[in-house]
Amino acid sequence: MPDVILKNLPFLMSGLGNTLLLAFIGIVGGTATGLILAILRHLRVPVLGRVALLYTEIVRGIPLLVMLFICYFALPALFGYRSGAFQASALGFVLFIAAYLAEEFRSGLRSIRTGLEQAGLATGLRPAQVFRLIILPQALRRSVPPVFSQYVRLLKFTSVASVIGVSELTGSALLVNAREFEPVIILTMTALTYLVICSILSFIGRVLYAQLQIRT
Amino acid sequence: MDYTFDWSPIWNNRDLIAEGLLITIALSLVALVFALVVGVLVGTVSASKSRIGRLVAGVFVECMRNVPLLIHMYFWYMALAFLRLPAFSCAVLGLTLYSSAYVAEVVRAGIGGVSRGQTQAAQATGLSPLKVRFLIVYPQALRNIAPSLASLSSQLIKDSSLASVIAVGELTYQAGAIEGQTFRTFEVYITIALLYLALVLCVSRGILALPGMRHAPRVAADA
Amino acid sequence: MIISRRRATGLGAVAVALLAFGGTALAQESGSGLQAIKDRGMLVAGVKFDTPPFGFLDESNEPVGFDLDLVTKVAEKIGVPVEFTKVTSPTRIPLLVSGNVDLVAASMTHTIERDKAIDFSITYYTGGQALMVKSGSDIGSTGDLAGKTVAVQQGTTLEKNLAEAAPDAELLAFKDYNSAWLALVQGRADALTGSLNILQGFAKDNSDYVIVGEMFSTEPFGMGVKQGDSELRDLVNETLQELWRSGEYQTIYAKWFGEEPRAPIELWP
Repeated sequence: MPDVILKNLPFLMSGLGNTLLLAFIGIVGGTATGLILAILRHLRVPVLGRVALLYTEIVRGIPLLVMLFICYFALPALFGYRSGAFQASALGFVLFIAAYLAEEFRSGLRSIRTGLEQAGLATGLRPAQVFRLIILPQALRRSVPPVFSQYVRLLKFTSVASVIGVSELTGSALLVNAREFEPVIILTMTALTYLVICSILSFIGRVLYAQLQIRT
Repeated sequence: MDYTFDWSPIWNNRDLIAEGLLITIALSLVALVFALVVGVLVGTVSASKSRIGRLVAGVFVECMRNVPLLIHMYFWYMALAFLRLPAFSCAVLGLTLYSSAYVAEVVRAGIGGVSRGQTQAAQATGLSPLKVRFLIVYPQALRNIAPSLASLSSQLIKDSSLASVIAVGELTYQAGAIEGQTFRTFEVYITIALLYLALVLCVSRGILALPGMRHAPRVAADA
Repeated sequence: MIISRRRATGLGAVAVALLAFGGTALAQESGSGLQAIKDRGMLVAGVKFDTPPFGFLDESNEPVGFDLDLVTKVAEKIGVPVEFTKVTSPTRIPLLVSGNVDLVAASMTHTIERDKAIDFSITYYTGGQALMVKSGSDIGSTGDLAGKTVAVQQGTTLEKNLAEAAPDAELLAFKDYNSAWLALVQGRADALTGSLNILQGFAKDNSDYVIVGEMFSTEPFGMGVKQGDSELRDLVNETLQELWRSGEYQTIYAKWFGEEPRAPIELWP
C-alpha cells in the first residue's frame, strides 16, 4: 500500500467508519420512512396518501447536494434548531433515499396479484391480516433487488456529505490530499474502497434475495 | 421560526441563475448523449454470446457504477490535469462514465427482454445479423426500456449538480456564488431546487410523451 | 383496496406520530448566546481545516492553527471545552445564520456587506491579498492578469477584490483553498490569489511558486458570531485584548507566523 495511505490510515479508517455509519442510518431510517410512505400511498389513506405522493415526487426531483444544503443551512434557520454537519447529512440521506425506496416498495406492492388477496380473504382472514401476513411479505421479498440497488446508491451518495464538511471517507481523503498532495494515489485508493464496500453490499442483496425465494 | 424572507437577491441575480441553468442543461445533454452511446455499446456486448465480451462489459459496469460520482469528478479532474482539459469536459467525462454503466444495465435487460423467437424468425427471413439488430431488436428494446431511460435522464440532470465541486459554472455553483454574496441561503436553495424539479419533470414527462413510449412495460433495471 | 377505512386512518395516525416525534427530537435547542453555550457545556466553533496557518490538519490529522489557538482561549474564558466544526468559505456564514455554530474563526475578512448578516469581533489579524504564480511566469502583478485565469475561493472578498483589481482576468472559483491551489499546480490557472500569509504557507513547502507584486487589498480578519449576539461578541473582544495585554497573543502569533505582530490589535482603555 502506498506510504501516503499507510501514514494516514487511522484517519482514513475513521472516515470509512463515518461513511458506513451514515449509510447505515440512511438505510434504516430511509427504509422505515419509505415503507410508511409506500403503504400510505398504496392504501390510498386520505390526505396522507396525497402528501406521501407529493413528497416522493418533489424529493425525487431535486439533487442530493441541494437536499443536504437545505438540511444543513435552511431547515435549522427556519425552525431554530442546531445541527452538526453529520446530523444534517444523516437527516438529508434519510429524507432523500426514503422517496426512492417508497417508489420501489410501492411497485413491489402493486405487483402482487389481486387473486392472492382474494384467496387470503376466502380463508377467513381479515383484510388487515391479509395485507400484513400475505401481501406485505411478498411485496417486500420482490422489492429486495431494487431496494438493495438503492442501498448501494445511498452508500455512494454518502460521499456528497464531504461537500458540507463531514469527514467521511471522501472528506478525509480530500483533507489528507490537501496536505500530502497525491491526488491520483489517494483518489484511486478511495475509489477502490468504495468499489469493494459497494460490491459487498450488492452481494448481500443477492444472497438475501436467493434466501428469501419460496422453495417448492 | 424567526426567519424573514427576502427574495430580491434571487431576482437581482437572475442572469447568473439563467447562465447556471443553461450550463446545467448543456452539461446534462452532452453527457446524456455520450452515456447513451457508450451504454448501448457496453449493454449490447454484455447481452452478447461472447464470454470474454460479457466479462469485460461486466467489469466496466461494476467499476464505473460502484464508485461515487463525486470521486469520478475529482478523479478525472485531478488525474487528467496534464491534459489541461477544461473542467466542463472533465465533468462530462465523469458523468458519462458513471451514467453509461446504468444505461448499459438497462440496455442489457431490454435486449434480453426481446424474445429469442423474434430474432430467429427475423434471421430466417434472410436479414443480416446487423439488420436484425437495428430493425428488430433495438426498436423493441427501446420501447421497453423508455421509462427506465427517462428516469436515468432525470437522474443524470440531478447528478450534474456535483460538477459544482470542480468549479463548473452550472446551477448549483451559481447558487453557491449568489449565496456567498447575499447570504440568503434558504431563498437561493429553494429556488434552484424548484428549477431542478421543473427540469426533471420536463425531461421525464417529455420522453414518455414521445409516440409509442407511453404505457410501455417497465423493465426492472436498477437505475 | 379492501383494507378498512379505520385501519387506514390508524396507519395515518402512526405516520403523524412518527413525524411529530422526529420534529421534537430535532427542535432541542433554539436559544443561542452565552447562556446556551454554558448550558450545553460546549463552545461549537467553525474553523477551516485546509488553510495553513490559520486552520489546518497537522501530520496526525488533528486540526491546529492560529484561529484555533485563539478560539481555545475564548472557550477557556467561558469555561467550557471547544468543539471544532469544519467550515469552508461558502459555508461559514450560512452556518452562523442557521445557528449551527456559535462562533466562526475562519480567516474571515470583516466587510460591511457581511456585517449585515452576522456580527464581527474586533480585528484580530490584518492580512492583505497577494498573487502567487509559478516561478518564471510572466505575471508580475495584478496588471498582467488580462486574459489570464486566476484561481480563487468562492464566496470570499478575494473574489471581489480581484475582479476590481484585474477586471479582464478570468476567475475560477473553488469551494476551498486546496482545490484553488491544486488548480494552480496543475496548470489550470495561471495564478492563485489569496491572503498573503496563507499563500506564504503554501509557498514555504513549494519553492516552484513565488508571490509577486504588491498586496492589493487590506483584509481585517474578525471572528463572526450570530447577528445580535452581543454578549458573546463582547466576551470574544475582551478575550482578545486580555491575550494581547498578557503577551499570549504575541506568543501565539509568533508560533504560527514566525515573526512578531507588526502592529497591536485594537485595545480599549
